[in-house]
Amino acid sequence: MPTEQLDIVGTSSIRVDARDKVMGKAIYIDDIQVPGMLHGKVLRSRYPHARIVRIDTSRAEKLPGVLGVVTGADVPFIHGESLLDEPFLARDKVRYTGEGVAVVAAVDVATAEHALELIRVEYKELPAVFDPVEATEPGAPLIHENVGTYTRAASNIKPIPGTNICNHFQLKTGDVEKGFAESDYIFEDTFTTPMQAHCCIETHGAIALVDDETNITVWANNDSPHRARKEIASAFKVPMTKVRVIIAPYVGGNFGGKGGLKAEAVALAIAWKVRNRPIKIMYTREEEFCSTIGRHPSVVRMKTGVKQDGTFVARAVKIYLATGAYAEKGPTVSTFAGISGAGPYRIPNLSIDSYCVYTNRQLAGAFRGYGGPQTAWAYESQMDIIAHKLGLDPVELRLRQVYVDGDRHANGQILKSEGLRDCLVQVAESMEWNSKPLGKNQGRGVALMERAIKTPFGSAAFVKVNEDGTVDVLSSTTEVGQGSATIVCQIVAEELGVPMASVRKAAPDTAFTPYDASTTSSRSTFHMGNAVKMAAADAKQQLLALASKLLKASPDDLTITQGKVHVKAMPERALPISKVLSENYGASGTVLGRGYYYPEMPEGESNYFSRYMVFWLLGAQGAEVEVNRETGEVKILKIYAAHDAGKAINPMTCLDQIRGGVTLGAGFALSENLMFKGGTVLNPSFLSYPVPSALDAPEIEPMAVEYAHPDGPYGAKGIGETTNVPTPPAIANAIYNAVGIRIKDLPITPDKVLAALKRKDER
Amino acid sequence: MQKKIVFTVNGDRVELSVEPNLTLLDLLKGQLGLIGTREGCDSGACGACTVIMDGAPVLSCMTLAVRCHNRNITTIEGLAHDGKLHPLQQSAIDHDAVQCGFCTAGWLLSAKVLLDNNPTPTREQVRTAVAGNLCRCAGYQRIEESILAVAEGRAKVQE
Repeated sequence: MPTEQLDIVGTSSIRVDARDKVMGKAIYIDDIQVPGMLHGKVLRSRYPHARIVRIDTSRAEKLPGVLGVVTGADVPFIHGESLLDEPFLARDKVRYTGEGVAVVAAVDVATAEHALELIRVEYKELPAVFDPVEATEPGAPLIHENVGTYTRAASNIKPIPGTNICNHFQLKTGDVEKGFAESDYIFEDTFTTPMQAHCCIETHGAIALVDDETNITVWANNDSPHRARKEIASAFKVPMTKVRVIIAPYVGGNFGGKGGLKAEAVALAIAWKVRNRPIKIMYTREEEFCSTIGRHPSVVRMKTGVKQDGTFVARAVKIYLATGAYAEKGPTVSTFAGISGAGPYRIPNLSIDSYCVYTNRQLAGAFRGYGGPQTAWAYESQMDIIAHKLGLDPVELRLRQVYVDGDRHANGQILKSEGLRDCLVQVAESMEWNSKPLGKNQGRGVALMERAIKTPFGSAAFVKVNEDGTVDVLSSTTEVGQGSATIVCQIVAEELGVPMASVRKAAPDTAFTPYDASTTSSRSTFHMGNAVKMAAADAKQQLLALASKLLKASPDDLTITQGKVHVKAMPERALPISKVLSENYGASGTVLGRGYYYPEMPEGESNYFSRYMVFWLLGAQGAEVEVNRETGEVKILKIYAAHDAGKAINPMTCLDQIRGGVTLGAGFALSENLMFKGGTVLNPSFLSYPVPSALDAPEIEPMAVEYAHPDGPYGAKGIGETTNVPTPPAIANAIYNAVGIRIKDLPITPDKVLAALKRKDER
Repeated sequence: MQKKIVFTVNGDRVELSVEPNLTLLDLLKGQLGLIGTREGCDSGACGACTVIMDGAPVLSCMTLAVRCHNRNITTIEGLAHDGKLHPLQQSAIDHDAVQCGFCTAGWLLSAKVLLDNNPTPTREQVRTAVAGNLCRCAGYQRIEESILAVAEGRAKVQE
């Protein structure tokens, strides 16, 4: 990378949204009122799998204050991001406890809630299946009879007709059987993870308005307005111009949970029936736990063949992800789980099968890491099992095997900008891996992670230069707390040569802010960063051309600094941007810059969640823990976390993405588990689902490794999404190091630790 | 049967009639337009709706509006004065203690009560004070540091 003189990029600018948030002025979806607005409430299934025999809504409809009741029969439409399989409300049968069956619109929430009690639904229960492995076996109850005929987003989504498998991803290299035959040791282990709940402190909410000419407007806290718009337009079979999605100015947390249609779907269902009235539905915390999405529960079987000296010869991985009653993003989650399923290591012979399996439970979908936490839990736990068996140092073994630039990845691509080795070295140095003494029952462990990035998808942006020289950025990237508004403003300010305070990013509205695939997959800094950089550069070139005759210099000899166009060599020959505009255009001047980034792809690659990756998410973490042998409790002494940012556009917010991610990962490691009895969630409350509090959160040393990417803006890559991924295996490996027990099923609760200690003592 | 209540919110006297089952949260957000108080769980478990009542933190989703009679309420909108941020607010910005912002008002008010009663808390005391305010985005390190920075700044002034 050429060294650039940067003034704003690479500095820890304070977040552009922070002031509104600390003052209580930030407007979220629940704060939005639309004239004539009604309130909706959803009646939900109490059975995991049942035929709907009849629904009687007549009493509810007669309740004063009720404007209408809708059931699945009234909205015969199907939506879905990767597989069209989900009705807006259950039709014919329910497939999970908590599925929407009817929606009431009323003048207020209390009336709507009252009306729900007046609806009678008669069900006939069907056999249900909950375990993802059992669900793949012959004779398992079929949750979707027609999975083979569902419309797919792309041909690389591969359901198996006549089964509960809605995607089977395969990746094979070399000859895995021959590899096992040539191995000195074979390791076979099974690892499991439970459902983790997103637990955004803000619940899902939406306001939907459908008029009598089927113009559809949705206000929501959705992470991806253009994706939602397309899904709505295609489901209701209306042109996209008839659908407008407006994102609330602020969104209270996401982590993948606010994509797709959640509250939007049920609000649209009732708005489709009760026309010309905006109808708001805010989810309760219980709905959040039972009727949105969580992280895919998983079973991962890992078989690995190694030589006596630790060289990896072959690995076979079978991944089962329980996606719940509808596919949602499960097919692409299972694809990403598969692509990185063998870990970021050189292994010549590989066989990876990743199955996305329907079960009769609440849905699983995108959640920070997107298939990464489940597979990293398996490959990083087994890495230490192998190291200990062979008497090798876990860090040393990883350093020998880990991918570096020039290696061919399991997916076939030659790797570049692969900073993972640097991450591990930094972690090992920070935690004084080889030298720091630890106390009794204390131990240390490390873990790495790699995850694919949603490729190839585009991002567009406009940069509007206003009459007074300030700048509006039109970008559909959604500020969900990750700090993207700040990053976008920093890049525009840097590229255009204006102060940070002059730049403002608009909240997304599909009527005004241009196309962006999604605010997901840690893609915004890279993709939208490139798009706004291009748009700012375009605007700058136009401004220089306009200033050229005023300053009597060629545009090539001009630049912009602190909002003033000037001759490069003579900063005093300058004009403020506002003057450049007014001298050219009088009182009505503006300049509009545009940018669209779409990655260059190898020929023949899929254009939907391809195997080729525009960049990889990479990180290493180390954990120091202390195990209480009496209580089984694990205390995290410290987590060291190094993630490859390419270039930290904002070092402060970059490190704070790591801090937040590690805390979420620590919860997944030690406590979080959405528990079910059959299809029913047992702990749908913050009182019983243990989100880490300030008293539980570990001490964290975050590090941003800057291994520049040639295609990233200023070398930047994404970072936020996978900072939680290596935390659980690093902790498990540290527990083994401390007391010699190996837990293979998350979360690592005190009862599991005590049981394992007891088994160990008995041996 | 509505009940008349009189109380002070952010220094302003309020007099109105409320239903006996109305929560303070719904009163603040729905009737007084004080949207900065957030509803995260409606069951007293997340702390996003924390406000200050007569100097103590209360969960407004678990507090009936009628209980506010003759009381003094401070919400997040009452923390800054004439556009000048409270030191805790400025410190939260400077320490990057804010991500999605949904929990922010709650822990800022918990922290204000802590520092009003104990200007020089230990880190452990800070943790305990905000333990009822769940944050899913940021973790808690930055939140604690931002509060401690204010405490230490105040301690220096007092010397």
